[in-house]
Amino acid sequence: MERSVLMVGIGGQGIQLIGKTLALAATESGLNAMLAAEYGGEMRGGTSQATAVVGDGPIRALPILPRTDSAIVMHDKFSGAVPERLDADGFLMLNSSIVDPAKAEGDHTLVSLPATDMAREIDAPQAAGLLMLGAFCRLTGIADHDHLVAAMTSLLPPYRAQHAETNSRALAAGAAAVSERDLAAVSV
Amino acid sequence: MSAVAQPAKLELLEGTTAIARAAILSDCRFFTGYPMSPFTGLLESMSDLMPKSGGSCVNVESEIEGVNMTLGAAATGARAATGSCGQGVALMQEAIAEASLNETPIVIFNMARNQQDYFQCTRGGGWGDYRTLTLAPKDVPEAVEHTQLLFHLADKYRVPTILYGDPLIAQTRVGVRLQPLDLPALPPKDWALDGSLGGTGRSRQIWTWALGKRNAPGPGPDRHWQELAEKFESMAASEQRWEAQHVDDAETVVVAFGSAGKFTEYVVDELREEGHQIGHFRPITLWPFPGEALAEATRGARRVLVFELNAGQMIEDVRQFADDRKAIRAIGGISSADSGLSFGPLLDAPEIRGRIIAALKEEA
Amino acid sequence: MDVVTTDRPPGQEASKVAEAYPSLLLGDHSLCPGCGEPVALRILLETLQEMDLVQKTIAVVGHGCYGNFVQIIDLDCTLCLHGRAPASATGMKRMRPESVVFTMQGDGDMVNEGLAEIVHAAARGENITCILLNNGVFGDTGGQQTATTVIGQRTKTSLEGRDPALHGHPIQIADIIAGLDGVGYVARGAVGTVRGVARTKKMIREAFESQLAGEGLSLVEILTMCPTGWFVTAPEGPDYLGESMESVYPMGELRARPNGEAG
Repeated sequence: MERSVLMVGIGGQGIQLIGKTLALAATESGLNAMLAAEYGGEMRGGTSQATAVVGDGPIRALPILPRTDSAIVMHDKFSGAVPERLDADGFLMLNSSIVDPAKAEGDHTLVSLPATDMAREIDAPQAAGLLMLGAFCRLTGIADHDHLVAAMTSLLPPYRAQHAETNSRALAAGAAAVSERDLAAVSV
Repeated sequence: MSAVAQPAKLELLEGTTAIARAAILSDCRFFTGYPMSPFTGLLESMSDLMPKSGGSCVNVESEIEGVNMTLGAAATGARAATGSCGQGVALMQEAIAEASLNETPIVIFNMARNQQDYFQCTRGGGWGDYRTLTLAPKDVPEAVEHTQLLFHLADKYRVPTILYGDPLIAQTRVGVRLQPLDLPALPPKDWALDGSLGGTGRSRQIWTWALGKRNAPGPGPDRHWQELAEKFESMAASEQRWEAQHVDDAETVVVAFGSAGKFTEYVVDELREEGHQIGHFRPITLWPFPGEALAEATRGARRVLVFELNAGQMIEDVRQFADDRKAIRAIGGISSADSGLSFGPLLDAPEIRGRIIAALKEEA
Repeated sequence: MDVVTTDRPPGQEASKVAEAYPSLLLGDHSLCPGCGEPVALRILLETLQEMDLVQKTIAVVGHGCYGNFVQIIDLDCTLCLHGRAPASATGMKRMRPESVVFTMQGDGDMVNEGLAEIVHAAARGENITCILLNNGVFGDTGGQQTATTVIGQRTKTSLEGRDPALHGHPIQIADIIAGLDGVGYVARGAVGTVRGVARTKKMIREAFESQLAGEGLSLVEILTMCPTGWFVTAPEGPDYLGESMESVYPMGELRARPNGEAG
């Protein structure tokens, strides 16, 4: 069993943090994981992408994925609404605060969440990515909340440690925002 | 007490951190480095971890200074290493030759930016008759094993050894188990300098010229360098490593090393499942190149497709050993990111697949 | 007390009652007559014996005529790459801090090829002792100009004499090193005169004391005669040294040890 997630956005949305959080949470819960990252030189606004693969044995997938089962699109500036390498029948999560779901035509399973707006609403404006990750993990079961929180906390550099609590709330809010209908759609 | 060791737990580690941890697991106690992408992460990890395990890591002022510090540390018997990317290793060539010829074991981590340093490690840019044992891992877990093996082989033969890494190995995070390899014990380093034989008439000397001392002459450069040449020949015979899949009935064999080998193996597996009679050969030691194994793996194949991300370096070794030189085709090429610091678009499964399919369609 | 008369030969045969040849020397050097380097080596070896450091000392010798000393010194030693001795010594001292580690380099080795290494080792405060044998030429390769060749000195690559307009100025490395934090002791001696030899030997001792006290890098520059490289005869060497080099490289302590501090 191997499952892949492609996470895309722009610099500043926390793409790298959510990639590491997911991979670390999976590892801490006993699974094999691989995380490859790609980003431009700019600190903010440039391309940012992370690829995580989780499995129960040594990962065979390539660090540059030719195809992915699922994708999280926080911003479509560099990837479009539907990343090219997403399986035709894959699972796509869109940040509808920024990405117009109408642009995401295709046979894939689509779940949209206004993550940026929701993050602002819970007073965690920088944690939209984590909010999305919380929802993604609730929907796919790829990692559980406790491991996500522990991973996120250990990944924060000393100068960001004060955000652990806010980030934790964002992960929970994302999971809570998942509806029964979404769960049903994904489990098909 | 159980005779079976507990397996080490899975840890998500960035490649350079995993390599640093593997080096420390191998009892590496001295490390030097100069920041240079994508080697920098290894220096930073060592900077953090080395002092915690009682060793010393120096962020040096030049690669030349660094490799020479490492030689000094190794001369006292400590396991010592340094590294850079190809450009920095270029500066270290004199010292690598020196260590080869005065028999000082060190490990050099070439976290290369691409596959263009194949000649650098297999032919060397130093002086004199020496060869450098080089391992090219395909991914982070293999790099963790190779790191331990390189320290062992360096000590076993008293030579510098090289790990050929790259940006994907350096920067990908993978769940790895830092399991110590079960390696045979090595004799004590009685040649190491510690001052203790001063004034005894049996004091030690480390010198490429190996003339020894007036009361205990050495072999001198002529005999010493000949003996070293014999040592490298014996290493060549016994230290070749490679991996081959589906070669027995293969009409086509794809040959690749390092990360490229991981990608080609993936594509070959796919093509095999689709019914193609295709196999895969991956040299693991770049030197000594597993020539006979390659010859055997490609015997009878109509096509030997060499995929490497450079203008054609390993292909020269393939040509030297393959039975049918006419079967050899280069399907790789230079491919660099715009930054110049990493691989370009050719290191991608669909691209590689396309090139193999195109080659299959051509008449042999 | 027996008075020995001197108006006729002694009644008994002479016999050797003591050996003045240092036991740490395994044979004769093969350097030119009149060379100052063996003198420097001898006082260094005597100092190590007097300080009882022989069985914990590692020597890192650079490339030059003095490189051949690795064949005659009964110390654990290595001949390392040109210019890199301070780097090599750094690795050694860090791995064996209880050893005494010293480098021996010529001016071409330390000030030409190895300028970066000595400066950085000093700034980093590495606890090693560096000995600079300064004769203002690349002796081993036949006498070319180095970074310490004085103005007016003739060498194979400045045949009319060093001219600042063409060849720039000499570098007083010891003065540069003396100004760096991280340094424990810097001194400059010369072995052209008996007095110079005695003073230089004391400097060498101070330098090793400084290393033992962990005060940082110690440097002793020793002006040595090179009659072959200077195109003078062996007996003329010491005078030439005094006249041409000592005004550019004055003897003395350039950086005294920290007062009363033990590292």
